[in-house]
Amino acid sequence: MTISTEAAAVSAEAVPTAAAPQRRRRRRDRAGYLFLLPWFIGMLFTIVPFFASLYLAFTDYNLLNPPEWIGLANFRDMFSDPKLLQSIRVTFTYTFVSVPLSLVAALLVAMVLNRGIKALPVYRAVFYLPSLLGASVAVVLLWRYIFGFDGIVNAFLGWFGIAGPAWTSDPDYALTTLIILHIWTFGAPMVIFLAGLRQIPVQYYEAAAVDGASKWRRFVSITLPLLSPIIFFNLIQSLIASFQTFTQGFVMNNGGGGPANSTLFYNLYLYQQGFNQFNMGYASAMAWTLLVIIACFTAVTFFTAKYWVYYEN
Amino acid sequence: MSNELPHTRHPSQPLTSFASPNPSGSAAHAMGTPPSLTRRNLVKASGIAGLGLGLGTGLGACGRGFGGGGDDDGDGVELNMVWWGDAARAEVTQAALDIFTEETGIAVKTEYQDSGPYADKLATRFAAGDEPDLMAMRMDSLREYADRGALLDLNTSGDAVDLSGLSESAATLAEVGDAVYGVPAGLNAIGFIVNQDVTDQYSIEIPDGDTWSWDDLAAFAKAITDASGGEVYGTGFEAATLANLVVWTRQQGEDFFTEEGTLGITAGTVEAWFDMIAAMRAEGGFPPAGFFEQVGGGPEQSYIATGDLASQIIPTNNFLGYNQAAGGNLALLRMPGETTSTRRGQSVDCPHLWSIASGSENQAEALQLLDFLTNDLRASEATGTTRGVPANTQVAEDLAPSLEPDDQTATEYLAGLQAEDLPRSYTYPPGGSAIADSLAAIAVEVEFERQSSADGAAAFIAEAEGALGQ
Repeated sequence: MTISTEAAAVSAEAVPTAAAPQRRRRRRDRAGYLFLLPWFIGMLFTIVPFFASLYLAFTDYNLLNPPEWIGLANFRDMFSDPKLLQSIRVTFTYTFVSVPLSLVAALLVAMVLNRGIKALPVYRAVFYLPSLLGASVAVVLLWRYIFGFDGIVNAFLGWFGIAGPAWTSDPDYALTTLIILHIWTFGAPMVIFLAGLRQIPVQYYEAAAVDGASKWRRFVSITLPLLSPIIFFNLIQSLIASFQTFTQGFVMNNGGGGPANSTLFYNLYLYQQGFNQFNMGYASAMAWTLLVIIACFTAVTFFTAKYWVYYEN
Repeated sequence: MSNELPHTRHPSQPLTSFASPNPSGSAAHAMGTPPSLTRRNLVKASGIAGLGLGLGTGLGACGRGFGGGGDDDGDGVELNMVWWGDAARAEVTQAALDIFTEETGIAVKTEYQDSGPYADKLATRFAAGDEPDLMAMRMDSLREYADRGALLDLNTSGDAVDLSGLSESAATLAEVGDAVYGVPAGLNAIGFIVNQDVTDQYSIEIPDGDTWSWDDLAAFAKAITDASGGEVYGTGFEAATLANLVVWTRQQGEDFFTEEGTLGITAGTVEAWFDMIAAMRAEGGFPPAGFFEQVGGGPEQSYIATGDLASQIIPTNNFLGYNQAAGGNLALLRMPGETTSTRRGQSVDCPHLWSIASGSENQAEALQLLDFLTNDLRASEATGTTRGVPANTQVAEDLAPSLEPDDQTATEYLAGLQAEDLPRSYTYPPGGSAIADSLAAIAVEVEFERQSSADGAAAFIAEAEGALGQ
């Protein structure tokens, strides 16, 4: 969005007199780089650790002594590490359940909000809020109370004579609780969906209504195809974010990934390896493996895009 | 549970100040609503964002900053001292340091945070070659650092720090072979607290805390749960807290860790521990599976303060805090089974050690500060027993009269233990934190009966031996 406002500003001031679409373009480029500058500066701080971790992935490094080159041993160890397999299982379950559900929730709410509700900005903000807070420590703590053994949820279930489970400390339920938390934070994709919905020309719907298309038909034949690029964007974003889940697992059970490793997310285990057990080499190898995993899923999603993502032009 | 059980599972400390290292996508989403989204651009953006976020994985965790870096230009030396704890502890610590600075002219810059983040920060500072001069060191991390040559062997520094005033058990706490890598910042033990308001209310007699057995505990706990109609559970503690299991193990005649740094506990002992707790749970004296959620950290959030439990296990240096939080009528008992088992199980431990970095450029001054903190009564008068009873017995004795009554109770409790002949406890071998993690996971499997106590015990022994490289 910075780019578009920027472009507007530049074209407003650049008077297209005598010369030079060229000069105009140069000025625009310069402004563009200027806006990118903070990112470049930030990148400098990332690039060194980035390549350092690539090197460390092939070493035995305990933070205190110099790293020792051990080739592919870290990667080989990963195959026989039951906790790593558990963390992959947790992360995949979490991702493949919560991402689709949260996108559906986001789309539903976006469609409701798109029906011309008064005070839309207020609603939009209210629904967006959880996604700003969802990954924060405070909210996870709050969540822990709500789903606590004597928490609100169980008190509510109690009214109906249901003895609720230990939502956060029973290994059969802890991950489910985190998935519900994730779905609740649908605000970010929702805002983007809403923006997408508002771009779909009303004429399409009017024409379809005239032809007698049902609401469902209009949704399937107009909304979904025209929204598919936005869905695609949200899907990629959510997938990537979800694979990297850390805070929820860390805070919910005080950094342990418990109960019984049922919320041991990949990144959480990576962190434990690096910072609790000082296996920084192994942790680096894990980080790069996750990068490859995420890249694969992103690539597959991109590959399938041509079958279901529709661009008008 | 609390801030500093000496052997609690590693990451179980409160994490209130933890900042997420994970960008988790919300930053990328937080763009708000663009006035015009062109779909092509969005797709491009998603590719770029995908790359960026993907690259961010794991690296974010490495990039968390750590301050420090003494400015030792100029004449005066400035020591950097780091520890974990809360603001109240910071205040009393600063008071002690002010005395030191005034007397020696050596400035001390301190940094502190919660124990979880503290462990990370310490590790990264060492990794960056920016180690502090004097630092709080967890007992179970001691060998992770010492074995890698990161800490100063106090035996090589002559008599800069006078350790003669320490009791035998205190002086050997940080001993590894012939080397000494730290001085206890304070001494504590674990103890059983019982809320006498509850026992009075239901007219239940508290067993003799010096001689009670685990069976006595079970009967006592059941009586309370029954009498209160399930309103209050008689007792409760986490099966996975190492400090608790260590006492049990020693009572059975085994060492959790042996002198050689191997695993001494046997599967039978672990199984019996699980079974003992399961039996109390079945009778009702112990809360049901899933009860312990580790909500919150300090005494205020403890289950005894909330009135859900009538008794629990605490580190004794926190007795004052628990008593204040739980209504002021707590009794401090020894652990059950001390006189009814094979041998004594309790030991004198320390919440943390003070250690000096082997790479410190100001070792002489750091040693001076360490000596002050250990042997100067004024230092202990300033800090009280926030880190436990002073390791120097003379200081502890002189300090006692000026303490709050609750701190005096805890001090007497510890003095009583120190005067007795307890089997020596051995320092954690490297890999200790992985053992704590593995016990935490398995204890839950057993608690929810997803695994039998025998299977759980066998799995624990296998994992623990693996972690120690046995």
